[in-house]
Amino acid sequence: MHFYLPVAEMSANIFIFIAMGGAVGFLSGLFGVGGGFLMTPLLIFSGIPPAVAVGTEAAQIVASSVSGALAQWRRRNIDVTMGLVLLAGGIAGSFGGVELVGVLRRIGLFDFFVSACYVTFLGVIGTLMLIESVNTIRKSRSGVSVGMRRSGQHNWIHGLPLKMRFQRSKLYISAIPPFLLGLFVGLLAAIMGVGGGFIMVPAMIYLLRVPTNVVIGTSLFQIVFLTAATTILHARLNHTVDVVLAVLLMVGGVIGAQFGAVAGERLKGEQLRFLLAGLVLLVGLRFAWQLIAQPRDLYSLSAGGA
Amino acid sequence: MRLSVRPWMRFWCRRGSMIVRIAMLAAASALILTAPDSQAQQQPRKKGPAPVAKEATQGSPQDIRREQQPGARESVQADVSARTVSVTSSFNGTEIVIFGAVDNSQQPSAESGYYDVVIVVEGVPGRVVARRKNNVAGLWLNTSSAAFDAVPSYYAVASTRPLEEIASEEFRASHGIGFQHLRMMPAFGQAQALSSEDLKEFREAVIRLKQKDGLYVQDPYSVAFIGRSLFRSAIELPANVTVGPFTTRVLLFRQEQLLSQYSVRLSLEREGLERHLHAFAFSFPTLYGFATVAIAVAAGLLASTVFRKSAH
Repeated sequence: MHFYLPVAEMSANIFIFIAMGGAVGFLSGLFGVGGGFLMTPLLIFSGIPPAVAVGTEAAQIVASSVSGALAQWRRRNIDVTMGLVLLAGGIAGSFGGVELVGVLRRIGLFDFFVSACYVTFLGVIGTLMLIESVNTIRKSRSGVSVGMRRSGQHNWIHGLPLKMRFQRSKLYISAIPPFLLGLFVGLLAAIMGVGGGFIMVPAMIYLLRVPTNVVIGTSLFQIVFLTAATTILHARLNHTVDVVLAVLLMVGGVIGAQFGAVAGERLKGEQLRFLLAGLVLLVGLRFAWQLIAQPRDLYSLSAGGA
Repeated sequence: MRLSVRPWMRFWCRRGSMIVRIAMLAAASALILTAPDSQAQQQPRKKGPAPVAKEATQGSPQDIRREQQPGARESVQADVSARTVSVTSSFNGTEIVIFGAVDNSQQPSAESGYYDVVIVVEGVPGRVVARRKNNVAGLWLNTSSAAFDAVPSYYAVASTRPLEEIASEEFRASHGIGFQHLRMMPAFGQAQALSSEDLKEFREAVIRLKQKDGLYVQDPYSVAFIGRSLFRSAIELPANVTVGPFTTRVLLFRQEQLLSQYSVRLSLEREGLERHLHAFAFSFPTLYGFATVAIAVAAGLLASTVFRKSAH
């Protein structure tokens, strides 16, 4: 059954996009990730204009993270103060990112820029995760107990001014690093069509030393509001949010995620991270290929009105 | 945040099997999805693989223009199967039939090839930017571009024979018939200075890419005479066609001489849900953004209540 997408201005088979949402939802439920870094590339590879893919995916991430955030809220795993500081930076970053998308589209470099961002970030994160998970698996096999790094150690972050008390994280640190982290993730979220959890979570653990139990909830909390803001900004400034496409992805996504979560309970943490790292690297490689391989047609067209 | 979903949750939790819940959610989502479609059904719906568009409203008289060459006895009249084509949510391309008749036809039979007919259908003119990728340090990225104004969004030429055999080069150039004579103005203030060869290459790229998308079509044998005076042709409007007014020109020739010309306008318009959504997204973008977010939040909350027990 075909449906003419009002903003993407193309006729799409609705079952393909529901299935796509379902598949990515399954993986995101399995790995406990937002799935934006998988969904946006899939949309781009299936012929949706990259700017529309990025804008629409922001809306879908709202749907997929709102239930998770609510569950974390009930379990009191959200540091609201920290979330708000991250969010303040995030919204500023999102503004910048959405503007940047508009400029890059006008000069014809948006597609290139998105691919380059994906290659860089997926490459780095994927490699780090792969190394970490392989080490953990090796250590657990050789019988050495693996402990998380202890929080509370001092580093350069503690020398900065504007200190704030983050009660639930049991931290007393400057507001500048979380603000800057939020800014950076907000920029990426707007450009790459991701929630940014894959950067936010490690950065909070290793840079800000936020306790692990609070990290996921706080990250989800800020992702919900950040992607909501990004959706509205994309809709307003770039007209690149397709509500029909978003609904199709949501329907598939929320169903798929439930099955993924059930399947994920049967796998160990480090095994999951190993698989996820492989997946992240594959998507990164696919984008790298697009940049390196000679395109079939050197020319491309775009409507010049916008 | 307390939500008044308690009765709901109890209802869901009592249903023991997860399958039942999934089935119900699937039914609910199917309902949501079919709802807009049933609205679209109120519009004249097309069925079959190559549907012929139905006429929605009568075209006004100024949609038609007629030009008679002095001294020519014959004159041509034509019309299209639909003056208004509705682009609804189920729009997946359509076929337009163009038919016409030659008054005072001197033709002995349909097969005699006495007259030649050329039909030119042009979409909305607009700006198109063509970009060329270049290899920069091993990476392929757009480095040069050319902007063209007044490029028709759609362009189809149908004729009884190849165009070179019907009309002279000069005539085709002055009337914009055929891909090589397509009107396409290089825009003022290009991003880069472009040589005439560069412009030519970009121009060819525009035509080639539009052809690949099925938006530029040239078919030299697609106009057929059915009787001594009646002829018909069909053109394909693909799903990715831009909405707006279209012009259809029908030209009648006899031995490279234009006898009569007739033009009729048709328009592609968004209808139904499709029209409302598009207008909403472009006229009230902020509100549209908020509405999209509201739908997303509702979908997320619905999913979390429905699947609450099985989630953790």
